[in-house]
Amino acid sequence: MKTPISSLYRNPVKFRMPTAENLVPIRLDIEIEGQRYKDAFTWNPSDPDSEVVVFAKRTVKDLKLPPAFVTQIAQSIQSQLAEFRSYEGQDMYAGEKIVPIKLDLRVNHTLVKDQFLWDLNNFESDPEEFARIFCKDMAIEDPEVGPAIAFAIREQLYEIAIQSVVSARESRMSKKGRRGAEYTPVSKGGAVAVDLVKLFGPKSSVVRKRKEWDVYEPIVDLLSNEEVDALEAKEERSFR
Amino acid sequence: MGDSDSELELYTIPSSSRWFAWEEIHETERAAFREFFDGSSVSRTPKIYKEYRDFIINKYREEPSRRLTFTEVRKSLVGDVTFLRKAFLFLQNWGLINHAAPSASDPDRDGEDDDCRVRVEDGAPGGIRVAATPNSLKPMAAARAASKSGGSAAGGSLKLPPLASYSDVYGDLIRQKEVTCGLCGDNILLHYSTTLMVVFIIIRMATDINLRGGNYGEKRSAEDFVLSESSENSGKHDTVWTEGETLLLLESVLKHGDDWELVAQSVQTKTKLDCISKLIELPFGELMLGSAHRNTNSNSANGIMNNAKQVQSSSSDGQENSKTNDQSPDLPKENEQNGDVVKESPSKRQRVASLSDSSSSLMNQVGLISNVVDPHITAAAADAAVSALCDENLCPRDIFDVEEDEGLETERSSLSEMDHRCPKDDIPLTLRVRAATATALGAAAARAKLLADQEYREIEHLVATIIEAQIEKLQHKVKHFDDLELLMEKEHAEMESLKDSISTERIDVLRRTFRSEITRWKDYSYVKS
Repeated sequence: MKTPISSLYRNPVKFRMPTAENLVPIRLDIEIEGQRYKDAFTWNPSDPDSEVVVFAKRTVKDLKLPPAFVTQIAQSIQSQLAEFRSYEGQDMYAGEKIVPIKLDLRVNHTLVKDQFLWDLNNFESDPEEFARIFCKDMAIEDPEVGPAIAFAIREQLYEIAIQSVVSARESRMSKKGRRGAEYTPVSKGGAVAVDLVKLFGPKSSVVRKRKEWDVYEPIVDLLSNEEVDALEAKEERSFR
Repeated sequence: MGDSDSELELYTIPSSSRWFAWEEIHETERAAFREFFDGSSVSRTPKIYKEYRDFIINKYREEPSRRLTFTEVRKSLVGDVTFLRKAFLFLQNWGLINHAAPSASDPDRDGEDDDCRVRVEDGAPGGIRVAATPNSLKPMAAARAASKSGGSAAGGSLKLPPLASYSDVYGDLIRQKEVTCGLCGDNILLHYSTTLMVVFIIIRMATDINLRGGNYGEKRSAEDFVLSESSENSGKHDTVWTEGETLLLLESVLKHGDDWELVAQSVQTKTKLDCISKLIELPFGELMLGSAHRNTNSNSANGIMNNAKQVQSSSSDGQENSKTNDQSPDLPKENEQNGDVVKESPSKRQRVASLSDSSSSLMNQVGLISNVVDPHITAAAADAAVSALCDENLCPRDIFDVEEDEGLETERSSLSEMDHRCPKDDIPLTLRVRAATATALGAAAARAKLLADQEYREIEHLVATIIEAQIEKLQHKVKHFDDLELLMEKEHAEMESLKDSISTERIDVLRRTFRSEITRWKDYSYVKS
């Protein structure tokens, strides 16, 4: 069901993923006895929790991991869902908020760099669809890239949503009754909402200057095997 | 002005998207992007939407054969990517972008945009329409021509305007007036043969030339187009008049006179324009005015031909008149059209106000047209008209001669004066009307001719000036080149002497070196390496 966007500008939104589907990004990174399992996927928080264990068992079986992973995976998902739910029901932000999303990720041999604006009040947004079109337009063949991009967007949106809840709570406590009008986003974490008046005011054009096009142009690189190996070794080192 | 005079750019879009106009935002768009038009948001305003839309379309049109992708567009636009994608898909679904580009060859795509998009496999798609370029003043001319051709043959593929040669030859002149003259132009082209076109073009050229002198800043918008198209359609399809309607029309004309609004109201089933054109088409010399001097229903093409002759001859010297002139009922129509043409010319400002009302009467227009030209031209035209009428009607010329002097005055004056005069004179009203219209025609044609001549002389003069200037420029250039050559020669000579002196010096140095001590070279062996 679509809520008319205009009605959302006035009232603060209750916490949720600022996308069409309320899917939580879940990231797993578990290491047991020298075996490391890394994964990233989205989870619908309204699914029953019994699904988590089923999912963990299934994953372990499919990937032929040691059975010790089952509890670890289930626990990790469970705790991340619990964190998400702890914010539910709280006010997120009021008024328009458009944030820049930056992508900088590597999936197998593909390197993706991009940045764009995301309207947190647009609950028609669909990171998965966006990623699919991105891959199609940029002619990316690796099927893993699309989900990775969608996940990266969701992760950032999730982060911003949590920040908004926190800052909304703080501003409510600091100046009771005056929240909303003079609400300014907390600048920690780097995801600062863009200045709407500056970008969309009557004096500015929404068409970027030609010289800025390159800055906002998505970059997709295909790496060679050696480069990938080098990068992976580097990541491995920094992890340890 | 220079820019808008440049070549028309034609783009094809599916006929389903004919609502699109650069200047405005259509209901379809409003419905699709409601949040942009309720004024609740800073980042969603109609202006921003329009900027997005125009940019995306322009971007596509930079290279219409290539498929524009969303990722390509969004780097240039500030805004929520989700919305940008929505707008992009909207434009794509309507065929405003990417419709001429090869469609995405992605078999596993769900057919979300394949449903509405017009696929272009070979040749142009069906139901094609030509859209305007932005900021162009007269793009609708081509569109109208195209849509007109669509009417004549079942639309299957892209059609050129049927009168290609016509628009080529007079393209420059007519382009400006194509839209505003649409009504009368179409009527003529649709209903009559090319003979009439000659007359029409002569007069139109004149008004065009006139226009160039004056300022014509009037804005031609989509409404103009719509209007002329609809009236054209009505001219084609809705002019089937039943007996009852015709009678009703005549009755109401008798009752309400020139008040066409009222006439149209009482006829009910027809529009104002329909009523006017119908009445003009009617042989109302008989029905309305009861003249007995005329053949029953003269062939319109014939009549037009004669009219054309008359116009041309009276425009040439204003005295010669046509002997074969049988006054057909189309003459008033012709005059009406002239009136329209004149009406379209904003440079004649004093008449725009009075003529802007399309329901103003025939006689009014006669008077006004006659007012435009010099008195002696009007006199000549009136004379020609009168003698033609006399020839045709076999009535003594002295009917007119009696009031010749005063008649000329009145014919140039307004309708009220005409009415004033009516009771005391005994000339049949039919003759009077015909004489007046003929006079007006002749006068207008004469004026057109004058203006055309004047403009032609002007152009000749200007061209001569330009050529002179060019020749002068060339001469200057030649002179400069001569100077340059001289300089080069001098320099060359200098260089030669310098070369000589350097070589002699070098020889001298070498000689001295050798002479002084040859073994010395060995000491400086590193110099050589």
